[in-house]
Amino acid sequence: MRKHVYVLTILSILIILSIASPAVTLVRADNKEALKPISCPYVGGTLVVIHWGDPKSFNPDSQVDDALAGIAGNIFNRLVALDADYNVIPDLAESWEVAPNGSVFIFHLRKDVKWHDGVPFTAKDVKYTFEAIKKYKGIAYSLLKMDKLVSIETPDNYTVIFRYSEPFPPFLGFLAWYGTYILPEHIYNKTEYKDWMDPNIPALTHPIGTGPFKFVEYVKGSHVILEANPDYFKGKPCIDRVVFKIVPDATAALQTFLAGEGDVLNHRPPLSEIPRINSTPGVIVKMRPVPSRWYIGFNLLKYPFNETKFRFAIAHAINRSEIVEKAEYGYGYPAEGMYTPAIKWAFNPNVKLPEYDPQKAAQLLDELGFKLGSDGWRHYPNGTKLTVRFTIFTGAEEEAIAQVIKEELKKVGIDVKIEEYEIATWEQKVVKDRDFDIALVDGFQGPDPDNMRMRFGPGQYINFANYSNPEFGKLLEEASKEPNMEKRKELYWKAQEIMAKDLPYLPLVDLVAFYIYRTEWHNFPWELPGVVPYNSYERVYWEKGTPVTTTTTQTTTTKTTTTTTTKTTSAPTAGGTTTVTATTTTTLVTTTTITSTVATTDWTMPSILFVVGLIIGVLVGYAVKKRK
Amino acid sequence: MALSTYLAKRFLQSILIVFAILLINFIIINSAPGDPARFMGGEVALSSPQYVQAIRERWGLDKPVYERFFIYIYNLLHGDLGYSYRYLQPVSTLILERLPTTLLLTITSTILAFLIGTFLGLKAVQKVGSKRDVFLTTLMFVFWSIPAFWLGIILIMIFGVQLKWFPISGLVSVREIKTGIWYYLDILYHSVLPITTLTLITIPVYYKLTRDTALQQLTEDYVTTFRAVGLDESRLFRRHVFRNAILPPITIFGLQLGYAIAGAALIETVFGWPGMGRLLLDSIYTRDYPVIMGIYLIISISVVLSNLIVDLVYMLLDPRIRVSR
Repeated sequence: MRKHVYVLTILSILIILSIASPAVTLVRADNKEALKPISCPYVGGTLVVIHWGDPKSFNPDSQVDDALAGIAGNIFNRLVALDADYNVIPDLAESWEVAPNGSVFIFHLRKDVKWHDGVPFTAKDVKYTFEAIKKYKGIAYSLLKMDKLVSIETPDNYTVIFRYSEPFPPFLGFLAWYGTYILPEHIYNKTEYKDWMDPNIPALTHPIGTGPFKFVEYVKGSHVILEANPDYFKGKPCIDRVVFKIVPDATAALQTFLAGEGDVLNHRPPLSEIPRINSTPGVIVKMRPVPSRWYIGFNLLKYPFNETKFRFAIAHAINRSEIVEKAEYGYGYPAEGMYTPAIKWAFNPNVKLPEYDPQKAAQLLDELGFKLGSDGWRHYPNGTKLTVRFTIFTGAEEEAIAQVIKEELKKVGIDVKIEEYEIATWEQKVVKDRDFDIALVDGFQGPDPDNMRMRFGPGQYINFANYSNPEFGKLLEEASKEPNMEKRKELYWKAQEIMAKDLPYLPLVDLVAFYIYRTEWHNFPWELPGVVPYNSYERVYWEKGTPVTTTTTQTTTTKTTTTTTTKTTSAPTAGGTTTVTATTTTTLVTTTTITSTVATTDWTMPSILFVVGLIIGVLVGYAVKKRK
Repeated sequence: MALSTYLAKRFLQSILIVFAILLINFIIINSAPGDPARFMGGEVALSSPQYVQAIRERWGLDKPVYERFFIYIYNLLHGDLGYSYRYLQPVSTLILERLPTTLLLTITSTILAFLIGTFLGLKAVQKVGSKRDVFLTTLMFVFWSIPAFWLGIILIMIFGVQLKWFPISGLVSVREIKTGIWYYLDILYHSVLPITTLTLITIPVYYKLTRDTALQQLTEDYVTTFRAVGLDESRLFRRHVFRNAILPPITIFGLQLGYAIAGAALIETVFGWPGMGRLLLDSIYTRDYPVIMGIYLIISISVVLSNLIVDLVYMLLDPRIRVSR
């Protein structure tokens, strides 16, 4: 019964979201919400985030670092950011323009931004960052098609122009995504450093950003401490500190969180624990669909997996709802269509996946000559037993999904042998050596449908099924260069139709993300889509903090910024420009100064130590006495 | 053969052993499946071959294995353990950072386990087959068979979640970082549960060893003689049985101290303790070759050294053991 309640909740969330969240549009510079200064009903407090892993270094653009990704958004800013709904919102750039053919991008930067060391932020920093990404092959090198970037121009201190040699419509999405934080040029760009990962650069261990929080300390394996930046361009954040407490073990992390030692749990907990967590007083679990899905790929270089009929037989034999129910405890959605519905505009709802129909599956297998033997298993026409190797990587969810599929395929007479490897070995076997039959993987499908090209396009490394339909490849190639949104959508929709006919990959489950936190904290990014970048705690406040109106000594400064981006400079390369103007007229910045309270010493810990010492002392004394 | 010649020989032997370990480690680590460059590249590496190539060139991973081995040895001889792929920091810095925290756990628990284990072992053997003996032996059997991480979680549940006596995980209370002496007391306070867990699972080793050795000693002729002479039972125990029964536990103790530097990966993971074991585990998961090599090198040196020391201590403790010629 309970499970039904959750399914209903999820469904209603999905419905609400699908209505509320606007489609990802290419140009969204008129979002004034994200430019609004921070306002705090309460101030003060330390937010403790139970974090799953150790960040590597603090250059967020140089190497892939998922542990840093959760932290970096509080220290750094991008030109444009993604919100929790994967829409592009302004960050350091308050407005931007795109040439009609989608090859030139002009950004107008905020003028009130300072680095944490007080140096003003200018277009020079932006230019340095992207030139460094290009020169040192940063994370975003391929995503941003750096080999097609002709120039980065800075006509003045607050304007940056990116010129590409060909149309590149997904640019903004990728610019807001991975490895694109703006770095301080005055710190990184020194002749004595051989590159941006030179161990002598102080910012690698003590980052300087423009973000809402300043870096205080990092004790590896223990914690990262950040404190509010009073000079943040949207105003000082409401909370004093954010502490990331690093607990790698999922069970220990959950216990630490539940015991009240943390306020946010940055861990995907065991799914069976979700109801218990949600019923803990003061704790809430929020769920959101994310553009991430589980899917399996068939080895198209091998018989019988290169037979479309065979792949359809397997697809008909798999019940995706059962996978959601049994392997995901009901948290997730049975996959529909060939692309994630979370990126709504690109998702083609008319493309259907094969229905669950074991009889159809059996019939297809019979047609292919895989007859049921007397032992209950299917055999090749030559009599060898049909055994399918199912290659997965280590993990509770992976194992659960594999078990469900194994049981389902058993029902149509296919024997599945599950092979489990840790991720590096999985990659070697599946992606590099193509030594597999069917493999399971999950992956992020956004922020732009160009991800389809990167994942499934012909010749792409991660296209482990070796799918190489030239028509499909051509459509995706065209779509990645088509500036017209309507036409782009059509191309992606067509590509999905072709892929559904070939079925080299079979999507299984669309994932949900869990946000687990204490209810006394508010204004998290997932509560403020359209306003806050998805990994920034800049607007979080604590209801047990000091109410702003009463006990504070208040200094109110009124600052008037009038930014009017007028019709722009002469049109670069191609024809006229689409001008999107953000007019921020009056901005009221309220600065609050709070008299700091004298920190009282916590005596619990010493007194416990004292008691323990006493007990040991008495025991030792007793033992000594008894000896004599 | 003089002692000094013996020592010199042993030292030379030790160096050769360490070198052999290095070579074997290097080969094993490099032939394990999984490419560190791909690993460093994460999800981006899957779609960006340029990024992977850049990483490979940066870290010299495009060179053949034997060439990398010679470079590694050359650097090692110049006192350079290399740079971590993951942290972009010298391996020696990473190891030194973790050393105090890890030794706090392992050395403390080894000493505690040694003391408690031998004490209980002797207590049990005083009245073989008594209720106390049976109780202790059963209890030790239980601790011996419990998986360490499970015991850790149980202790967390009881003392952290239910009774709230001790913090559940971490090195310090992060909500309010203490300063001065309180900072170190806070670390001690946080170390109570992990040390207890480690101690509890190590005690049975010493208990069993002491009890069995003492039991064997009790059947020796000299004990019978002393008893016949009418020597006081407790004196017999303290002066004679104890002295003989303590030798094997001391050997194990010495060897365990040698491994202390390796940390306790499982316990450190469960308790979120930033120690050597976790560093090693993380490095293995992410194919951080220089860190793996560095830690293995330190461990092998430490183990070889402690072996040497144990041999020497043995020589001093037991005059019957002569240097073999």
